[in-house]
Amino acid sequence: MWGYIARRLLQTIPVVLGATLLIYAMVFLQPGDPIVALFGEKPVSETARAQIEAQYHLDQPFIVQWLLFLKGAMVGDFGLSYSGQPVSDLIARALPVTFQLAFMALVIEAVLGVIAGFYAGLRRGKIFDSTMLVVSLIVIAIPIFVLGFTMQLVFGVQLGWVPPTVGGNVTFTNLVLPAVVLGLVSFAYVLRLTRTSVIENLGADHVRTALAHGVPRTQVNRRHVLRNSMIPVVTYLGADLGTLMGGAVVTEGIFNINGIGNLAYQAILRGENPTVVSVVTVMVLIYVVMSLLVDLLYAALDPRIRYV
Amino acid sequence: MSDPTASAEQPLPGQNHFVADIEQTPLEATGTVDTTEAPKSQWKEAWKVLKGNWLFWVSAVLLLFILVIVIVPGLFSGVDPRSADLSKSLQGPQSGHPFGFDKQGYDVYSRVIHGARASVVVGLLTTIIVMIIGIITGALAGYYGRWVDAFVSRVTDIFFAIPLLLAAIVGLSALNNIWPDRGYWGGVIAVVIALAAFGWPQFTRIARGAVLEIKHLEFVDASKAIGSSQMKTLFSHIIPNSLAPVIVTATVSLGVYIVAEATLSFLGIGLPSSIVSWGNDIAAAQSQVRTGSNLHVLLFPAGGLALTVLSFMLLGDAVRDALDPKVRK
Amino acid sequence: MPAPLLTIRDLHIAFTSDKKEVPAVNGVDLTIYAGQTVAIVGESGSGKSTTAHAIIDLLPGTGHVTSGSIEFQGNDLTKADDATMESIRGSKIGLVPQDPMSNLNPLYKVGSQVKEVVEVNDIADPGEADARVIELLEEAGLNNAAERAAQYPHEYSGGMRQRALIAAGLAARPELLIADEPTSALDVTVQRQILDHMNSLTDELGVALLLITHDLGLAAERADHLIVMYKGNVVESGPALEILQNPRHPYSKRLISSAPSLRSHRIAVEEREEVREAAETVAQEAEEAVAHPHVIRARDLTKEFPVRAGALGRKIGFTAVDSVSFDLERGTTSAIVGESGSGKSTVARMVLGLLEPTSGSVEFDGKNIAGLRTGAGQLDFRRRVQPVFQNPYASLDPMYPIFRSIEEPLVVHKVGSRSEREKKVRDLLDKVSLPAGVMSRYPNELSGGQRQRVAIARALALEPEVVVLDEAVSALDVLVQAQILGLLAELQADLGLSYLFITHDLAVVKQIADQVIVMEKGRVVEQSSAAGVFESPQEAYTRELLAAIPGAGIDLAS
Repeated sequence: MWGYIARRLLQTIPVVLGATLLIYAMVFLQPGDPIVALFGEKPVSETARAQIEAQYHLDQPFIVQWLLFLKGAMVGDFGLSYSGQPVSDLIARALPVTFQLAFMALVIEAVLGVIAGFYAGLRRGKIFDSTMLVVSLIVIAIPIFVLGFTMQLVFGVQLGWVPPTVGGNVTFTNLVLPAVVLGLVSFAYVLRLTRTSVIENLGADHVRTALAHGVPRTQVNRRHVLRNSMIPVVTYLGADLGTLMGGAVVTEGIFNINGIGNLAYQAILRGENPTVVSVVTVMVLIYVVMSLLVDLLYAALDPRIRYV
Repeated sequence: MSDPTASAEQPLPGQNHFVADIEQTPLEATGTVDTTEAPKSQWKEAWKVLKGNWLFWVSAVLLLFILVIVIVPGLFSGVDPRSADLSKSLQGPQSGHPFGFDKQGYDVYSRVIHGARASVVVGLLTTIIVMIIGIITGALAGYYGRWVDAFVSRVTDIFFAIPLLLAAIVGLSALNNIWPDRGYWGGVIAVVIALAAFGWPQFTRIARGAVLEIKHLEFVDASKAIGSSQMKTLFSHIIPNSLAPVIVTATVSLGVYIVAEATLSFLGIGLPSSIVSWGNDIAAAQSQVRTGSNLHVLLFPAGGLALTVLSFMLLGDAVRDALDPKVRK
Repeated sequence: MPAPLLTIRDLHIAFTSDKKEVPAVNGVDLTIYAGQTVAIVGESGSGKSTTAHAIIDLLPGTGHVTSGSIEFQGNDLTKADDATMESIRGSKIGLVPQDPMSNLNPLYKVGSQVKEVVEVNDIADPGEADARVIELLEEAGLNNAAERAAQYPHEYSGGMRQRALIAAGLAARPELLIADEPTSALDVTVQRQILDHMNSLTDELGVALLLITHDLGLAAERADHLIVMYKGNVVESGPALEILQNPRHPYSKRLISSAPSLRSHRIAVEEREEVREAAETVAQEAEEAVAHPHVIRARDLTKEFPVRAGALGRKIGFTAVDSVSFDLERGTTSAIVGESGSGKSTVARMVLGLLEPTSGSVEFDGKNIAGLRTGAGQLDFRRRVQPVFQNPYASLDPMYPIFRSIEEPLVVHKVGSRSEREKKVRDLLDKVSLPAGVMSRYPNELSGGQRQRVAIARALALEPEVVVLDEAVSALDVLVQAQILGLLAELQADLGLSYLFITHDLAVVKQIADQVIVMEKGRVVEQSSAAGVFESPQEAYTRELLAAIPGAGIDLAS
C-alpha cells in the first residue's frame, strides 16, 4: 500500500513537470509586459526597465524561466504579480472561496444525482426514469452560463431570495445558488452514471441469488444494488472536484465571486503570466492529489482491489 | 443393471416413464443455417436496433434539418445578419422578423440561422480530430503496451491534469497573440485547435481500454498464428472491433464541444465578435436582458444551441443503445 | 401414498422480444416428492434453467409464465403474490446457483452474506447468528470456518465459494433445494467433492433436490428420476436407470450415445486404431524424405510470468510451466490434460510460437522455433502449424463474414488468385460439412458448433501438418462435441494431421488421444500412452482425475 503510494507519487512528477511546461510554453507565446502593468503610459528609464525585466526573469531564456519558476514553486513562492503582490497571497485568498463553492456543488450533485439515478434505474422505462433522462439531457445541452444567468435573474433579481451577486460577501447562503449552477451539469452525469450502474447491477447474478435466498427486494436493492453501484459514482465524484474548480470560471464570473477561476481568467486577459502559470500549477496539483485519493478510495470501496 | 430392485420398484404417481410424441418433438439438424434472411453484420444488427428507436429518428430529423441550415443558411433567411437598424433596437417579434431585434437592431432570426454554422463546424471538426488522434494513440498504447503505453499514458495524464476550460482559454489567448486577424475560418479553426489540443486524451483512454479488451480475444491470436504482421492484426482486426465505444463517446462529445465553444465565446475569448455565432449572441444578450425584459434576445440563440446539442445527445444515447449489448438487454 | 412436494403441470414460459412472445418452455410436467433427487438434463437452450427459475419466480429479463401451474405444498406459486414468494424463497425452497464466481457479492465478507440469509429467514436468535453462520459454513465443508467467514469472496477458490453458496442455500433448512448446474464451472476433482458433500447433506436433512445439469453421467449417478428436455419440451422422463438403459425418444438415445463420460467405456478402440494407421500412412507418404517422426519436440519448456509483490512493486516470477518435455509423433494425437492453473494452455501458446518460453525449446520438424520468428521461416512455420481455440464465440472476428475469415490465411500467404481462393474456401467448408451458403454469413449468425467448424476450416486452409486444439470442444454441447470429435478423427485420417489436444476433460481424451500428458501446477505428473493412463494410471493425481469423471461406474445396455 505505501509502496503503491510512493510509486504513484513518483509517477506524478513527470505529470506536474509536463503540465507546467506546457502551460509555460503557451503563455510564453503571449508575453505579458509588467512594465505597462506597473507604469502604464509613463516613461520608464532604461535601468528601471532592465531591473524589472530581471526581477521577472524576462531577460532569461524560456527554459530558464520555467526552471526558476519551478524552483520557487517548490517552496510555495510563485513570484510577484504585475501589481507587485505575491501570487501566493492572491491564490491563498481565492482558493478557499473556490474550494468551498466546488465542495458545495459536489455535495449537491452527489446527493441529488445518486437519489434520482437510483430510483430512475429501479424504475427503468417508467415515467420517472424517462423524465429524469430528459431533464439530464436538457441540463447538459443548455450551456451553464445560460442556466446560471437565468437562475440569477429569477431567484436573485425577480424573486429576491438570494443576492444576485456574491462579491466580497462569501457566506454559505450566498454560495448556494452559484453552487447549484456549478453542480448542475455534473448532477446530470452523476444521475446517468448511477442509473446505468444500477441497471447493470440489477441484472447481476448475486442479486438474483440474494433474492432466491429469501432476502426481501427492498433490502437487496439497498444493500446489494445501491452499494455496488456506488463504486463508479464515487470515483467519478472524486475526479469531479478538480473539474469543478477548473470549471468555476464561468460561475464565478456570473455571480462575481472572487475565486481562483476569476483570478485566472482576469490574469489571462491581462497577460499576467506569473499568476496564470501559478494558478494552473495549483490546479494540476489538486488534480494529481485527487486522482491519487480516488484510487485509494476505490480500493477502500472494492475489497478486490489491492495496491501492492 | 446388477440391482434388479431399482427397476422393479413401482414409480410414484407422476413419475412414470414418459416419452413425448416423437412427431411433436422432432430432432432438428444441428448444421442448418437460416439462409432466408440477408446476412447480418454487426453494423447491420446495430442499425436494426437503431431503426426501431424513435429517439434516433427524432434526433436524426433534427440534425438533418440543422445540417441544411449550416450548409445553406440563405434558404431560411434572406436578411443579412450583419445589417443593423438601430431604430428597431430591442423590438419584439413582428411580421417578417419572427424573433425580433437585438440592441444593435440586428435581426435575431437571421443571426440564429447564420450562427448555426460556427457552432456545428467547431463541434464536428473537433470531434473528428480528437477521434483520429485518440484512436491512433490509444490503439498503439493498448496494443504495444510496455514503454509505448507508459509514455502515452503519462502524456495523456499531463493533458488531463490541466482543466479543459482554463487550458482552452490560455491556448486561445496565445493563438490570438501569434495569429491575429484570422477571419471567419481562421477564427473557427483556432477554437477547434484549442479544444482538440486538450480533448484528445479522453479518446485515447477509451480507445486504449477497448483495445486492451479486444487484444486478448482468440481471433487476435488466430490472426497472429496465420503469420499476419502486428500492424496488420492491429489495423484489420483490433481497431475495427474497438470502434463502438469511441463512436458512442464521439456523438456525445460533439454536443459537449459545441457547448464549450459557446462558453469560450461567452468569456470573450472564443470566436471573435465579428463572427456571427450563438455563443457571441448569447454573451451579448446577457447585458441586454439584465432587467428581465427583452427575453427574446437571449431565448432564441440559446434555444438554437440547446436544440442542436440535445439532438446530438439524443443521437448519442440511441447509438449507445444500439452498439452496447450490455445496456440493450 | 405420499403427497408430492412440488408438482409442475403443463408449464409454458415465454420471453418478450420486440413486443413478440418468444416461447422458451412449452409444457413441462414434473413431480418431486420429499427427500427425492430429480434431475433435469438438457443442452443449452433446452429450457432447463428457465424452468428452475420459474419455480422461485425469478425469471430473468422479460421472462414470464404464460400458462400452467407450479404447485408447492398445495400453493400455486404462479398465482402467489410477492410477499408469499419472499417467504417461500430461502426458507422453503433454496437455490445453489451455477457460477460460484458471480453469485456472491464481491463487496461483502462471505460470513456477512450468509448471516444476511440467516437473519432474513429468522433461523437463529440475533445474538447467535454469527455462531450459526460458522456452523453452517463448517457443515458445508469449509475448513477454518471462523476465519473464512471474515474473508471476501475473491479470497476463496471456486470450490470454496460454491460451498459457501451451499451453506446459504441450505441455511434455512428448505424442503426443496434447486441446484442449477452447481459444479459445471469447477474443476472435475472439485466437482466430485462438492457434489458428494451436497448429496450427503440433502440426504441427512431430508431435503429434496432438483438438479439441473447438461451432464447426463452426473445426473444418472445422482438422481432417482430424470427429466430430459430438448428445445423447451420434456422429451422423456422417468426412473433414471430405466431411461439410461432403455431410452425411447431419439433425442435421449442420441444424448446417451454422445455423452463422453458414458460412452468412453464403450469406445471402439479398433476404430481409433484404424484412424491412426490411416493418418500415419498419409503422413508418411507426404513426408517420405523427412527424418523427423516427431513433428513437435518440446524440451524443458519453462515459462515464468512476472507478478508484482512486496513494497515498491518488486517483480517476482510465477512459474506457470515448469520444465515440460514431450514429443508429438507425426500423424498421431497427444493430449495435454490438466485442471485450471495446470499451465496446459501456456504450453499450447508456446508451441504455437505466440509466447516465448523463459527457458527450454520447442522444435518443429527438427528446427527450434525460436529461430523461426521472422521472415520466410516464420511464414513457413505459421503455414504448417495452426491453432483452433476454445471459445467459438471469440475465435472468429465478429466483423468478418465467414468467407473472409477462412480466406484470410490464404491472402496473408498469397495463395492463388481470388477465384482459386474462393474454390478453396468452398472445398474447406465441404470438408467440415458446412454448406457453401454460410460464406456470406457472420459469426453471430452461426451456432457454437458451426463456428468451431469454421475455425477448423480456417486452420486447415494452409494445409498444415500440426493442429493445436486448445480446449477446442470444451464449450460445446455434448451432441455437437461428439460431432466435432468425429470430424477431427476423419480429417486426421484423410490429411495425416498431427494433433496437440489441450483439454481438462479426460473423458474426451479417451476418445481421441494416442499419447496422454497429465499436467498439474505447471509440471508433468504422468506421461504415457492413452491405454497406459486409462488402464494402469501410475500417479495418484491421475487416478483422482479418472475417478472424478461422472457416471463412469454406470452400466449401459448397448
